[in-house]
Amino acid sequence: MKTTEAQPIIDRKKKVFESIFEMLPSEDNPSPLVRINRMNDSSGFPLFAKLEWMNPFGSVKDRAAWEMLRELEEKGEISSERGLVEPTSGNTGFSLAMMARTRGYSMRAVVPNKIPLEKKILLKIAGAELDVINDELCPVPGLGDGSINLAKTRAKAERHRYVLPNQYENENNVAAHLKTTGPEIWRQTDGRVTHVFLSLGTCGTVSGVSRYLREKNPDIKIIAVQPTEGHDVPGLRNISQLPATKLFDPSLIDEILEIDFEVAYTRALELCQKEGLSAGPSCGLIFEGARRIVEADKEGLGVMIFPDSIFKYTANMAKHLPFLSENTTPPQ
Amino acid sequence: MAEFTHPEVIVSTDWVNEHRNDPGIKLIEIDVDTQAYDAGHVPGAIGFNWQTQLQNQVRRDIINKQEFEELLGSCGVSRDDTVILFGDNNNWFAAYGFWLFKIYGHDDVRLMDGGRQKWLDEDDKELVVEKPSVTQGEYVASEPDNSLRALLPEVLNASAAGSHHLVDVRSPDEYSGKVIAPPGMSETAQRGGHIPGATSIPWLTAVAEDGSFKTADELRSIYIDEKGIGSAKRTIAYCRIGERSSHTWFVLKYLLGFEDVKNYDGSWTEYGNLIAAPIEK
Repeated sequence: MKTTEAQPIIDRKKKVFESIFEMLPSEDNPSPLVRINRMNDSSGFPLFAKLEWMNPFGSVKDRAAWEMLRELEEKGEISSERGLVEPTSGNTGFSLAMMARTRGYSMRAVVPNKIPLEKKILLKIAGAELDVINDELCPVPGLGDGSINLAKTRAKAERHRYVLPNQYENENNVAAHLKTTGPEIWRQTDGRVTHVFLSLGTCGTVSGVSRYLREKNPDIKIIAVQPTEGHDVPGLRNISQLPATKLFDPSLIDEILEIDFEVAYTRALELCQKEGLSAGPSCGLIFEGARRIVEADKEGLGVMIFPDSIFKYTANMAKHLPFLSENTTPPQ
Repeated sequence: MAEFTHPEVIVSTDWVNEHRNDPGIKLIEIDVDTQAYDAGHVPGAIGFNWQTQLQNQVRRDIINKQEFEELLGSCGVSRDDTVILFGDNNNWFAAYGFWLFKIYGHDDVRLMDGGRQKWLDEDDKELVVEKPSVTQGEYVASEPDNSLRALLPEVLNASAAGSHHLVDVRSPDEYSGKVIAPPGMSETAQRGGHIPGATSIPWLTAVAEDGSFKTADELRSIYIDEKGIGSAKRTIAYCRIGERSSHTWFVLKYLLGFEDVKNYDGSWTEYGNLIAAPIEK
């Protein structure tokens, strides 16, 4: 039998796994930390990037997706007849869809039109059905987000078909980082971490990481980096967009840096070309925030949580850095 | 606490939940996001698409009397019905629908306060995907009441003469000309700015945190005391395409009781495209 034949070679230490789910990150199987070399010459304040794209489904969202899905399974709220519906800018949807379809559930992703085409296609490749909604007409605090509202509508109107994890309100999104990301950082840095740099989207990462690490060392600085208003950095929210998430707790953040969103794209390119890190635009923004704090604080040990890689963002990169499109066709 | 001048034109989500099956009650949802109705709606509600059903599909205009009669007849709405309108984005297009119903003389039309969002957020409110079965009938509309609608010549004259309050309900950045339209909008204009003499009072000024209308006292304090829009002078509200201004038109005419207030549905997508029209920035 296949299982019997395969059994002897399964060994997580050798990275031979029984299934893809065993590759999900944990304190014993953390996502890598890689030091920044050419782009940070401060010997007193080394910076490390936590490469979340090394997770099995390609982003930091693997953590929340897994925690939310496991809870629904444990409560018996998901089945082959009742699948998921989730508002997502792509990464959570991709992680959830890959996990759900592998375990025999359906998945419907509600996405804003402005997300890159690559992400929409990826969701379909993962087996998700798509609802694409028009982008915000005139953003109004308190009105709610179009994707969240449509996902809520489907879950309410067709309870027998859909359950809504809702990463914007689900405490398991925070719990995932309390259980994994926080302990990983603490262990990987031998408790020497002084600054954590991250971005704000659902705020699950910042809330979970901050709660864990501050418990270990109240002096650790949690620095959130946000793009300027009008940005198109997928997955991130400007402070004016944060009321859409119920997981935002400003008391867990020491400082919020606002950085021109165009810098996200130029820094991402530099991270690729100078550090060999295939870092996406949100990583570029986070790096810029960290760089400014290194300049100001001079001493410390910084960990930057890099949410995902550049591969889904080639179109966005080309839009913001038009020279990338030059010489991509034969000369006339 | 003072009441709205016409409290009868507002109903709560609880009232709708209680009365939605009463004879003579017709629920109509009009959303900005035209997918929303199909995904789930209030049981018994009909859905109107503002793009294809409430506007003439050839010239830029509201549907005419005959088209309005055909639309309502096909949905089984009669002249004596109590029509409850609601929608997303704090009832923008529901307010536009209200304005249209009043233009064609429907007596008993009301807005569900808080719109689709409030209904969605309340746990005791149901949503369904099944569309209601309707019995087609005949609807006879009145001749259009043009006293509710401002067309360009009147707007130009009002601006030149200073005879009206002109209320620009768009965002401050649209008013100042920093942007011509909210990002991503296909309906736009050649120039940014505002109609000379217009006062900026964004539509959302009228809306409370939960999406329902603010109280009569709060509205009076904002529009009349702070902004100096008095009912003694004629008023014209405008926005970009005429839907957000319907919302403010509703507030001024029905909640605050202004006698002479019009909606300029041509709004900035007409005015901002004119050759040689005066513009302030």
